[in-house]
Amino acid sequence: MLQKKICMLGSFAVGKTSLVRRYVESIYSDVYHTTVGVKIDKKTVQHGQQEVTLVLWDLYGEDEFQKMRWSYVKGASGYLLVADGTRRLTVEKAMQLEEGVRQAVGSLPFIFVLNKADLSPAWEIDAKVEDELTVKGWNVMRASAKTGENVEAAFQKLTAKMLGE
Amino acid sequence: MADDPVIRLPLNPDEEVSSDAGKSFEKLRHLILAPEQEDLARLRERVESPDQRANDLSAVLPEAIRLRHRQGGGDALSEALAPSVESALRESVRKDPGTLADALFPVMGPAIRRSILQTLRQLFESFNTAMEQSLSLRGLQWRFEALRTGRSFSEVVLLHSLVFRTEQVFLIHKKTGLPLCHVVAPSVAMEDPSLVSGMLSAIQDFVRDSFHSPQGQGIEKLQIGELEVWIEDGPQAVIAAVIRGMAPPAYRTELVETVERVHRRFAEQLERFQGETSPFSAAAEDLTSCLNSQFREKRSLRPKPYVFVFAGILLALLAGWLTFVGWRNHRWRTYVETLGRQPGMVVTSFGRQGGHFIISGLRDPLSSDPLALLQSVGLDPRQVQFHWGAYYALDDPILQQRAVNLLRPPPGVNITVADGMLSTQGVAPDDWFTTLSARASTIPGIRAVDVSRLIGANQAEFHRLESLIQSTVLTFPVGSAELSSAQSDSLKLLSPEIGAFLAKAQVLHKNAIIDIVGHSDSTGAESTNRLLSQERADSVARQLAREGLPRGSVRPVGVASAQPLREETDEQARQSNRSVTFSVSATAPPKS
Repeated sequence: MLQKKICMLGSFAVGKTSLVRRYVESIYSDVYHTTVGVKIDKKTVQHGQQEVTLVLWDLYGEDEFQKMRWSYVKGASGYLLVADGTRRLTVEKAMQLEEGVRQAVGSLPFIFVLNKADLSPAWEIDAKVEDELTVKGWNVMRASAKTGENVEAAFQKLTAKMLGE
Repeated sequence: MADDPVIRLPLNPDEEVSSDAGKSFEKLRHLILAPEQEDLARLRERVESPDQRANDLSAVLPEAIRLRHRQGGGDALSEALAPSVESALRESVRKDPGTLADALFPVMGPAIRRSILQTLRQLFESFNTAMEQSLSLRGLQWRFEALRTGRSFSEVVLLHSLVFRTEQVFLIHKKTGLPLCHVVAPSVAMEDPSLVSGMLSAIQDFVRDSFHSPQGQGIEKLQIGELEVWIEDGPQAVIAAVIRGMAPPAYRTELVETVERVHRRFAEQLERFQGETSPFSAAAEDLTSCLNSQFREKRSLRPKPYVFVFAGILLALLAGWLTFVGWRNHRWRTYVETLGRQPGMVVTSFGRQGGHFIISGLRDPLSSDPLALLQSVGLDPRQVQFHWGAYYALDDPILQQRAVNLLRPPPGVNITVADGMLSTQGVAPDDWFTTLSARASTIPGIRAVDVSRLIGANQAEFHRLESLIQSTVLTFPVGSAELSSAQSDSLKLLSPEIGAFLAKAQVLHKNAIIDIVGHSDSTGAESTNRLLSQERADSVARQLAREGLPRGSVRPVGVASAQPLREETDEQARQSNRSVTFSVSATAPPKS
């Protein structure tokens, strides 16, 4: 059985947890976020003929009360970097986090997920920004925790990246 | 050869060339060949001199080894070097163990410290467990067990502390927190191992980060009510055992050994781990060893040996007690039988009540003291209560005691009672003697009185004087009837005794008369002898009369040689026969 540790990164309240809630197996409550700073969920993804178990470390979004614990990223095979399309600041924060990961554990495969796709008209981010990021080599995906749009696909894509495709 | 156009050049520059041409050639040769020859000589020296070769090699050796490693031939190099390195190490230790010890010290020190720390921690945990257990009820039971089995208390505690069950064991990849292998005991509810492993790793990271633990040490034990999670860290992987109950500290050693074993077996797989867990399914047997061997030993339904021992002790105690009670009762029964045989005592009942022996019966006040008897046989007077009724006993010893008490016999008189017959013997004053029969017959139980061996004081004196008088002999010379002065003195002494005798006879109401008998020897004519013997009796009678005795109380008679005192076989016997003797007769007065 193939298992991979992946992380969910993103600033506070970008909807990381909401994004995956419907799609993962979980036994822990959200309280762990505010106590230990991480909550572990599991997601099984079918990749071709192979079933891959993603152990999802949903990290607490850094805010003024709690710092990111970089040690949680150690050993991860990839990560979902989440930002809120309605808040431009969260994109900048995501870029800082990406930089942070690189410094902490080196380059890792990741998917940049712009959440709240269902609220597109209210977005502070335009296609230009997405293009810039794509040019940087980022995989950018719009997704919605509310409609479930692209959530499954984001996991699939990350898995594919981690397995070197 | 002088015209030889060829000029031979010496091969050796030192060789002499005599001719001028030779000298020119020599110069030329030097100019052309000298640098090369010098190079050649230098190279030869480098090749041939070991010192120089070593010097050259030392410059390139480190780089050569590095190069070899980069080219992927490290294994061959290691193989080639291994024997030399090993023997070098051996040689170094042989020469001076200190050098290698110093070099290894920074490595060994922490390892040894950690090992000692672990051992001490286990020791303290054992001690703490023992202390906690020693104060509980169970602790007391275990203390008793320790006494019974001769084990140390802590050993017994540890034995019982093995009451636990390892429910799950996780092997977790340290870096990723992914579960490599997971075993679970039968019928144990379990959560997804991936999630549990991940969370355990997260908590470990959290603790390490939060408390800045030195050398990456994390949590060793989590306690959740009855559950404990013991975590044993290895360099690549971690073992977490979920334990219900209280595992002994020695269990930690088993975890440590399992972690080490897994690292040995799966060194390569751990190193290259990329998320594929299937190679680690073989680790299940290692983990299962932590699971299976720790079940509590089931209690046997067969009674344990100590039950028999305990029952044996109880039986022995019971038997001992019964024997003691039997022996004690036997002693008391013997005592009661002895009491029953005592004169003046009748035991009517004997029993035990309220922890006391109760003895009831009748007792004559003159009988022996039952308490004194009790003490003489060594029984405890506090264990007995007597209930006596008084009565008059007719047993001979009691009768005798009673007679003595009532009759108060004077000294010299002995009283005995047999079959109700009271017998006396001895000399008693006449007044006591005369009233004895009357008084004795009033004593209850005395049927008859025997006084045949008792005499009155006057009677006794009468007999004494009688025999004194009758034993007196006065001797005379041949043919003489005159008293010598010695005989006169004897008569003076005898005369008051005779007076006393006559007086006693009067007291005893007897008529007493004393015959003064004169004797002669058998020589000479009997008629002469008769006269002589009469004369001798008369002579004594006269003398007694002079002493004041009434004449009527004596009667002088001469019997010649008719009543000789001794058979006349010699002169001494004849002398004895020339004498006067006294004969007393006392008769009771005729009854009127």
